[in-house]
Amino acid sequence: MSDEIIITENITKYYNRGKPNEVLAVNDVTIRIRRGDIAVLMGPSGSGKTTLLSLIGCMSRPTSGRVMVEGKDVSRLPERFLTTIRRKTFGFIFQLLHLVSGVSVCENVMLPLCPTDTKPSKLRKRAEELLESLGMSGRKDFPVQEISGGEQQRTAIARALINDPDIIIADEPTAHLDTHLSGKFMTIMRGLQEKGKTIIIATHDPLVYEKDYVHLIFEMRDGMVKHITQRNDSLNKKVL
Amino acid sequence: MKIKSFKYLRKSTLFFLFIVLNVAIVVVLLIKSGSILSEHDNLRKDLEEIVRTLHLTDMVLSTDARYTRHPTQSDLFSAFQDYPGSIEHFPTGSVIAPPDFTSIGTFIKVHKFQRSATTGEHR
Amino acid sequence: MSLERHRNILDYTLQALLRRKFKNIGIIIVFTSMISILGSIIFLSYSFKREATLILNASPELIVQRVMAGRHDLIQISLMKDILEIPGVRKVEPRFWGYYYDSLIKANYTLIAADEAVLRDNRLLKGHLPEPQEKNVTAIGKGVADARLLDLGDMFSLQSADGRWIEFKVIGIFESESDLLTSDLIIISTRDFKSLAKLPDGMATDLLVSVRNKVEAPTIAKKIKERFPDTRPLLRDEIIRTYDAVFGWRSGLILICFIGALTAFIILAWDKAMGLSAEEKKEIGILKAIGWETSDVLEMKFWEGIIVSLTSFLTGIILAYLHVFFLGASLFAPALKGWSIIYPSFRLAPFINPYQIATLLAITVVPYIASTIIPSWKVSITDPDELMRG
Repeated sequence: MSDEIIITENITKYYNRGKPNEVLAVNDVTIRIRRGDIAVLMGPSGSGKTTLLSLIGCMSRPTSGRVMVEGKDVSRLPERFLTTIRRKTFGFIFQLLHLVSGVSVCENVMLPLCPTDTKPSKLRKRAEELLESLGMSGRKDFPVQEISGGEQQRTAIARALINDPDIIIADEPTAHLDTHLSGKFMTIMRGLQEKGKTIIIATHDPLVYEKDYVHLIFEMRDGMVKHITQRNDSLNKKVL
Repeated sequence: MKIKSFKYLRKSTLFFLFIVLNVAIVVVLLIKSGSILSEHDNLRKDLEEIVRTLHLTDMVLSTDARYTRHPTQSDLFSAFQDYPGSIEHFPTGSVIAPPDFTSIGTFIKVHKFQRSATTGEHR
Repeated sequence: MSLERHRNILDYTLQALLRRKFKNIGIIIVFTSMISILGSIIFLSYSFKREATLILNASPELIVQRVMAGRHDLIQISLMKDILEIPGVRKVEPRFWGYYYDSLIKANYTLIAADEAVLRDNRLLKGHLPEPQEKNVTAIGKGVADARLLDLGDMFSLQSADGRWIEFKVIGIFESESDLLTSDLIIISTRDFKSLAKLPDGMATDLLVSVRNKVEAPTIAKKIKERFPDTRPLLRDEIIRTYDAVFGWRSGLILICFIGALTAFIILAWDKAMGLSAEEKKEIGILKAIGWETSDVLEMKFWEGIIVSLTSFLTGIILAYLHVFFLGASLFAPALKGWSIIYPSFRLAPFINPYQIATLLAITVVPYIASTIIPSWKVSITDPDELMRG
């Protein structure tokens, strides 16, 4: 039990609750993810994967239910506490990457730790080390809009790692990548998992969820988890 | 195109320098004002002498209308020029405010109207 | 507490502003222009009022005009004797002055009779004033000298009321530093004035009354008014107060410039206060998602407001100062000049009222920062997921 880094208990999320355009995005979902797992949320568009990711990653709050991160219930925490948890615990790789245009690769990587007391020189050194580990040192001073899609993706990965998070969340990371780059991405994720990071990926790309080192696959449809597959040993059993 | 960022001065440093420069210019101008004002004190003595000697009452702000050349001396009449209620036609009349005429002072006494019971006259 | 965090956020804010370079430079230009116009008005009006107050303290204590049907008329010199009988009155003298229209250059001059006046060692007068024994001589202002291309010793003709041309020799020219007092003056002797204007005997333009105790001047003025109801006594205080109002808030120039500048500012602040653009909201969403706190986002917005408003304020104030005290308020010259042919050079002494500058700071910088932070507050407390969805 103490190994669980993420637990969701019967979480539900409505958007525009009470309005004519009300949407039930996540419906009564209970999942458990162990520290060091690579977990995949799988399903077609509109299945609720992105919403579940944002709930797990403290980017939004559930309408009902509980989200536990490292044993702490974060479901009803005020925004200012959630931000601290986000900064310390999570590294995000968004589907659209959401890099800040006009800013260099290195500065985009440094951005999460910008509002901290870290000296820029130290921060820059760390960013450069990360970029080097991802093969990006030659592009560090380029504006992000002038680099390729794959390079932008690696910039986003570096940004997600700058604060040395325990959990890395990636939303459709291979959606705009070719087979080769998708493979490279999963190799990087595998490398991070081997260093003890927990990886949670939302995807409908078989190149991701068919990897044999993926520990957990949550199949989602219509906001619910329909099926759970586990490989290697895990606390989650097959449901439904 | 490469962006050389943080290589030279930080942007915040440049901003602070810019503000400091502006503040320095303001301080220099204030100091200069102080020195001009102390020189002006000597000039002012001569100006006061001119006012006293020639019995001047007004500054030369404009020379197009007499009520803007000598606003302190002007009467009620001159601004209207042609007829009562005439519209301003000197440009400086709309720039230079008219003087305060309240000191001219007009007294109005109000009596209650009374009709005489016998004669029907109003008193 | 380390300042590094604040500097880092400031660095990011400056970079963000530079990313929208043209828009932000446009805002700064508008804001700076507004501050420089308002600042110019504040410097011009305060400096002018201070100057007028200081100099006109030497103007006559009490002037008595005669008014007929609301119009300023000549006053009988015989009234001097009666006024002298009022307790507290020390001296009464007649004043002869008027206007002269020069049809050649379409300029108006102020004609003053002053032959008992002496200006000794006054650096602002080149030459001297007409003396009692001198005939057909004149001292003129720099504006007159420049307009008629006159120098000391030159001859200057004026047409009398009966059409005769009378020649005057220029024996004195005032320096341009005294322009605000003397620019359009023509000083001639009393005899020449009466001859030129065909002034009836026993009449003067108005009377100058000197009092023993200046505190009693209002009382004496009241007595003069009671005894001679068709007169209008003018106190020195009223003269000075007139110049307080000359550039007051009801003055046309001030009102127009102020309204124009304020409208521009309101439009600017309104645009900011209406809320953030979708792009700005998304950027805040990204920052929050990657770990920025609400306070960090608000601090970023605060810096954004400070950068734009402080830059504009300091630049605007400096430009305003240079405009008024180095360039003689030349931008306002068309409004101030009107149809004047003779127009003084505005060499104002740099009197500055710090309270007015502080007020200008408070009514521009503070609301601008507020209009930047307040709409951002609501956005910054929203869940980042909602912001990034758009």
